[in-house]
Amino acid sequence: MGHIKRKMMSEKQKIVIEPVTRIEGHAKITIDLDENKKVEDARIHVTQYRGFEKMCEGRPYTEMPALTARTCGICPVSHEISSSKACDGLLAVRPPKAARNLRRIINLAQITQSHALNFFHLSSPDFLYGFDAAPEDRNIFKMMKDYPELAKKGIALRAFGQKIIETLGGKRIHPTWIVPGGVSHSISVETRDKILSQIPEAMDIAKEALKLFTDSLHKFNKELDSFANFDSLFMSIVGKKGKLEHYDGVLRFVDQDGKILDDGIEAKDYKDYIGEAVEKDSYLKSPYYKPFGYEKGMYRVGPLARLNVVDSCGTSLADEEFERFKNLNNGKPVLNSFYYHYARLIEIIYCIERIEELLKEPQTVEENIRAYANINRNRAVGCSEAPRGTLFHDYEVTNSGIITGVNLIIATGNNNLAMNKGVKQVAQTFLDGNDIKEGALNRVEAVIRCFDPCLSCSTHALGVVSSNIEIRDHKKTIIENIKRS
Amino acid sequence: MIKTLEKTPLENTKLLSLFQLTPELCLQLQDANKIIFVDASYSEKNQYALACSLENSSNNTLSHHISPLTLMQILKDLYNKNIDFEIFSILTKNFDTITNNSDYTVCIETTAQEITFSIKK
Repeated sequence: MGHIKRKMMSEKQKIVIEPVTRIEGHAKITIDLDENKKVEDARIHVTQYRGFEKMCEGRPYTEMPALTARTCGICPVSHEISSSKACDGLLAVRPPKAARNLRRIINLAQITQSHALNFFHLSSPDFLYGFDAAPEDRNIFKMMKDYPELAKKGIALRAFGQKIIETLGGKRIHPTWIVPGGVSHSISVETRDKILSQIPEAMDIAKEALKLFTDSLHKFNKELDSFANFDSLFMSIVGKKGKLEHYDGVLRFVDQDGKILDDGIEAKDYKDYIGEAVEKDSYLKSPYYKPFGYEKGMYRVGPLARLNVVDSCGTSLADEEFERFKNLNNGKPVLNSFYYHYARLIEIIYCIERIEELLKEPQTVEENIRAYANINRNRAVGCSEAPRGTLFHDYEVTNSGIITGVNLIIATGNNNLAMNKGVKQVAQTFLDGNDIKEGALNRVEAVIRCFDPCLSCSTHALGVVSSNIEIRDHKKTIIENIKRS
Repeated sequence: MIKTLEKTPLENTKLLSLFQLTPELCLQLQDANKIIFVDASYSEKNQYALACSLENSSNNTLSHHISPLTLMQILKDLYNKNIDFEIFSILTKNFDTITNNSDYTVCIETTAQEITFSIKK
């Protein structure tokens, strides 16, 4: 495998031959040591900026689903869902049942493929080789050599989700099928049946992944104690009868004991409950639960939070596993963020079951797929559960539908405070400034992997993310600067 | 670039327009004899120039993005396909608008020629 240097074909043609660096986003982790070289503090900073909210001003609302989808190449469907729901609100319409079902299906497909990538490609080397394995032995390339069938299954599960997105939306990345009022075209019975035929293989892979994870849990007792394992609140959308729901519902906050603090919150009222703090050393905002104030109001979102908040999943296989999950902490919320991986795998099973249920509903193939209206409100909020957590799109428009204001609370951003606390906890548990070991640094990154952050998305920026760990002494002098890849 | 290449008679060539490289792309690419990646890269100095021979070894474990090299490694390790590949990066400092239509057009046409030359080799 190699790359070929090109000859200049002509002096008149402008061809530059040089090493070029692709645009890379940047996440920096700073670890501060005290005089005894023990960890005093640790933080994750996101240093990339794009300012999507400002860019949308002056655009017609009809462009917003396609525009905001370009916030991210990983979870564009989530943005299109929340954006379209905000637009539905501006029009004061409710999409027909077929459209709601189809939007749900594409959302569940995206969650499936996103969770699959985190497990198979980012996290499974930790589970297979352990956190202390050398970097050359703990990566996807080694995993592909040692466990090729597992790696292929990971790709197949992602392909299942992506194919649904492409089939429904027309393209895999940034599909333009989800529109204000519904979706742009219906699906045929043949399309429905084709997707249904792929369900059994996807489910088998999902079950195998779950077994791999649960079978390896006994190796990680130390991590289970210290991977962002602390009291916090949890927030999620819940559906009817408190069931797991990713597309539509009301917001619920619970505390670390499972006590419901607030329930039945409509998306449009989110600002009464969620404040946003700006951090001086990061472009990532820190949302918090307003009644408890900044930092005390830290809450977590995403797969772990969802399973901590809901009363049940609502599908049979997922609910079987959900019961085991709840038993981890005697029915109370599971606090250890290492179990995000477990929750993610349960959600994959739920998503596949739910996709099958929705496809089998006769209304799903109906032709009536869009509601039409003019602007009836000057402000609306769309909210949905993205793979990483709750996503808010808040739009203000003129009477002719031109955007005058946008506020986005991105899933990953909700977890900012918890991620920081988790990084600090892991650094303090595993890192010794007198003898900095690879395994300790890997665990610092691994706790971030639990949250599966979309850092590009959460700063509304673009790019590939690398990480840089900076270790400073008690005088804040950098003593180690480690680029991680 | 895709539109320009579509006007060129290229036999046995499939053109894919993507926003992101993903692992399951391997399922589409595994039967190829050669893969040419074309993208845009930021450069403060060089506007609408073509850069080649990109060294990128990103295999970080935080991001869902994967690099061309990672994709080629997946093809090699999982599907036993050691496929020849090239990367063409068009340099620009502005991704939102075309700041010089003439230079832009020349660059696109030049790149298309280079790609065509490479495919026909």
